[in-house]
Amino acid sequence: MTVIRILWRHRALIAVLVRRDLDARYRASVLGFFWSLINPLLLLAVYAVVFTYIFNPRFPGGDPYPLFLFSGLLPWLFFSGAVLDGSATLIDNGPLLAKVMCPPELFPAVTVLSHLIHHLLALPVLFLAMVVSSAAGLHSFPWTFPLIVVALVPWLLTTGGAVFAISVLSVHYRDMRDLVGHLLNLLFFSSPIIYSLEGLQVPVILHRILTLNPLASLVTVYRDAAFAGRVSPPQLWLTAFVVGGVSWWLGTRVFAAYRETVVEAV
Amino acid sequence: MKGSIRFSNVRKAFRWRGSRSPHETIKGAFFHRKTRRRRTSREQFVALDGIDLEVTTGEAVALIGPNGSGKSTLLKLIGGILKPTSGTVEVTGRVTALIEVGAGFHPEISGRENVVINGMLLGLGRREIEERMQEIVDFADIGPFIDQPVKIYSSGMYVRLGFAVAVAADPDILLIDEVLAVGDEAFTRRCLDRLARMRQRGVTMVLVSHDLDLVTSFADRALYLDRGGIVTEGPADAVAARYRSDAAGGSRRDDPPQPAREDDDKTRWGNGNVEIDTVELLVGGKRSRLVAGGSPCSLRIRYSVNEPMEDFVFGVAWHRSDGTQVSGHNTDLAGFEPLRLATDGEVCCEYDSLQLAPGEYLVDVAIHARNGLAYDYWCDALKVRVTSEVEWPGVWSPPHRWRSTGPEWRIGDEFRRATSIEHDE
Repeated sequence: MTVIRILWRHRALIAVLVRRDLDARYRASVLGFFWSLINPLLLLAVYAVVFTYIFNPRFPGGDPYPLFLFSGLLPWLFFSGAVLDGSATLIDNGPLLAKVMCPPELFPAVTVLSHLIHHLLALPVLFLAMVVSSAAGLHSFPWTFPLIVVALVPWLLTTGGAVFAISVLSVHYRDMRDLVGHLLNLLFFSSPIIYSLEGLQVPVILHRILTLNPLASLVTVYRDAAFAGRVSPPQLWLTAFVVGGVSWWLGTRVFAAYRETVVEAV
Repeated sequence: MKGSIRFSNVRKAFRWRGSRSPHETIKGAFFHRKTRRRRTSREQFVALDGIDLEVTTGEAVALIGPNGSGKSTLLKLIGGILKPTSGTVEVTGRVTALIEVGAGFHPEISGRENVVINGMLLGLGRREIEERMQEIVDFADIGPFIDQPVKIYSSGMYVRLGFAVAVAADPDILLIDEVLAVGDEAFTRRCLDRLARMRQRGVTMVLVSHDLDLVTSFADRALYLDRGGIVTEGPADAVAARYRSDAAGGSRRDDPPQPAREDDDKTRWGNGNVEIDTVELLVGGKRSRLVAGGSPCSLRIRYSVNEPMEDFVFGVAWHRSDGTQVSGHNTDLAGFEPLRLATDGEVCCEYDSLQLAPGEYLVDVAIHARNGLAYDYWCDALKVRVTSEVEWPGVWSPPHRWRSTGPEWRIGDEFRRATSIEHDE
């Protein structure tokens, strides 16, 4: 709770820092803020071409695979982007930490929030894609789309916890960043992003392992709302929120344990 | 104003980093588990130990000592940037720190944005920062660089901006680490003037410097640190003298610090019927040797009487270190007729506005009979440094204004506050 209190006290500064982060990301480009829309659009176009004409994945239900993939990938990109940036955020902001009294909590929070905003900016593209594809009769429009907002809560908590822990650990252990890269790769393929757990024909043990992946519930809940047009069963929602809560709790605990020595190690 | 600092029995130890520590990496942490517990004491470097310190509101304290003696660590503990390993640190009031060449700036973003971020970290609101932005930009005087990323700044610009933000944040406590050494002469002069004004307002200051002249003119008190401990503390000139002799001799002597008062025949004489104990410059009610030009201040002379006297004059004379006489005044010229001087006490000479040009001044103080017989005549009893934003030549620096009708002018930001021009159409 103290983390929340610190963040709330510095909310104005966090707003400035998030703004600076987003500015830095888009300012350099001629297209400015539209870059945030073009990025997911480009991604979607590439998937549409590759998975319609080049690969033709076996996929139950006959739903358009590019949209399926896109709706699973967007929250994942939020998570993995924030975690990767999180592993460098405290080191990058070392000058501020070492010379001004500055709560280190600010920087992981800024990383998460700026990636969240980045994600929110991609939602209109996802929405439009759903509208277009349902208008073309490829897919029925997911009326559960607004539920994304609720599905984002466990994503935010999970990402927050992970970024808090990783930011502070990578200050103390310099090989953390490499490790994070590998772990993210592993996590990506073990999460039901490019595939669905439903009707997956794999050995039972592998299936069990894949369901144990904490991110599985988050991906499914999000995609059910954004793409499949159904409300996930309550136990799946519960799992997602429990994963979020545990991650947040654990992450902030780890952060608290290493917090005092951040300045010395940075 | 409420800026006070109290340290009790503070210890700060760091863990060795880099090649000496096997725990820099996750791999190391896993494979050196056993050695970790056994070697904790050897892996630590004690930067400060057993530090007791008390700084009251409005005091200026200097930290001196050789490199690596713990001065910057002490400053960072006051600033809350580091936490003590043991002991307690209590600090009240808003602290701003200028540590190791400038405040903390983010290299990738512009000076202006850094000012906003720094200002907010120092506790200012957005609007307050916007209000003070022009003042900060003027003081830093780095021109169009203010909108460029900080990474392209020269070290001088970095310090200018850092200083400008720190003083604009209106701190109760200001921590300064060697920053005055980096700027050019004109900027150092303006900084010093600003610091003198802040001192007069009652801002508490802690200064780390190797410039002992600055230390003695700036600080009331000094702490001499070596290898993480306090060697001695006391009046700034005494401590500076001790440090000087240690640094020259390279040895540590345990004799008490010698007061830097020069009692030899050439600079002090008299029959001793009345003796001057101390001569102090008071600025804003506090002892100081630094005064911003044009400020009110007073000289306080404390004396003790050995023989009661009926004929006595108190006098002071100001001169430059090159011998140029500046001013002399005494109680006789002011029309004070002596009646009786029997008890110890003090006499103050008050100045509404010390209209001296910037530089160093020496003050002679004397108590003598009306015919000139000296009871105690003390040359160079006090050294005072007068600061100003502009390097006025000469010794007299009256407030003044230029009026003009013909010429057209442009005034640099630097001078705008110090000068004013009225242009009559």
